[in-house]
Amino acid sequence: MKGLIKTLIGDGRTVACVAVALAIALVLLETSARPAAGIVMPLVLLAGAAYLARH
Amino acid sequence: MSDIGVVVATFLTAGVEWVEAFTIVLAVALTIGWSRAGMAALAALAVLAALTLLGAGFITSLADAGYIQFIVGLFLTLFGIRWLGKAIARGAGLKPLHDEALAFTKLTQSAVLSETRSAMLVAFQGVLMEGLEVWLIVVALGVQTGHTAAAALAAMVALVAVTAVGFMLRAPLAKVPENTIKFLVGCAILGFGSFWLLASLGYDWPIGDYALPCLMVFYAIGGLMLIRSFATPSSPHAT
Repeated sequence: MKGLIKTLIGDGRTVACVAVALAIALVLLETSARPAAGIVMPLVLLAGAAYLARH
Repeated sequence: MSDIGVVVATFLTAGVEWVEAFTIVLAVALTIGWSRAGMAALAALAVLAALTLLGAGFITSLADAGYIQFIVGLFLTLFGIRWLGKAIARGAGLKPLHDEALAFTKLTQSAVLSETRSAMLVAFQGVLMEGLEVWLIVVALGVQTGHTAAAALAAMVALVAVTAVGFMLRAPLAKVPENTIKFLVGCAILGFGSFWLLASLGYDWPIGDYALPCLMVFYAIGGLMLIRSFATPSSPHAT
């Protein structure tokens, strides 16, 4: 079961990276900085991929 | 564009996963025979086919299109960032490249293959676990774009191609450029995922669907820059 979950969603670090990107996007979408969400979220996800590569 | 992208991304994802699954089945087949190993592999493929029908049926039964888009976007983002992170780490030399020949040798020397039933279980589990990632891509990309059949067909074509080449060689497919494919697929899937995830939250992409290839290119360029900056002396990208 653990293997199945890890295969489908990844480990805790992967979930944390996507959760951070999602949280930042949600905040931006509720503010006047809404148009920036389309730039900031991909940047945060790329930073997340860099973090996952390093760990 | 997204239709071709769905087929290509599914074919490449499936190709990489079937290569890994073939290594496992080959190791089992050389121990307990092709018929038993093949039966175990076919049973796993039958489970995956049933899961595809169930998964696609369940997701399409959800009434709210925005909800479907969010779920699909979230799973694809989780998948894409994982593959991209792994490909960057391997490309930069931070982690060793996946070696099919080594995986095959380790498995053939494993005591678990000495008993027929446990060896069949290894083949079944191997195909099932590798195939689950294919299943995820087929269902997620297929349902969201309305091309589940095309995505499933692309996965099956990849299966036939890998099996045919594997049968001819009777050896692990170690020469497949797995990390390059994982890098490209990671960029594409992360592009699909982040595009749909933000759209499901009510974000209007300024250039509409054209934002999708732009996202893929952005992740590819960013990923290549990261490989360069993380490169270790053992990496092929070290300067």
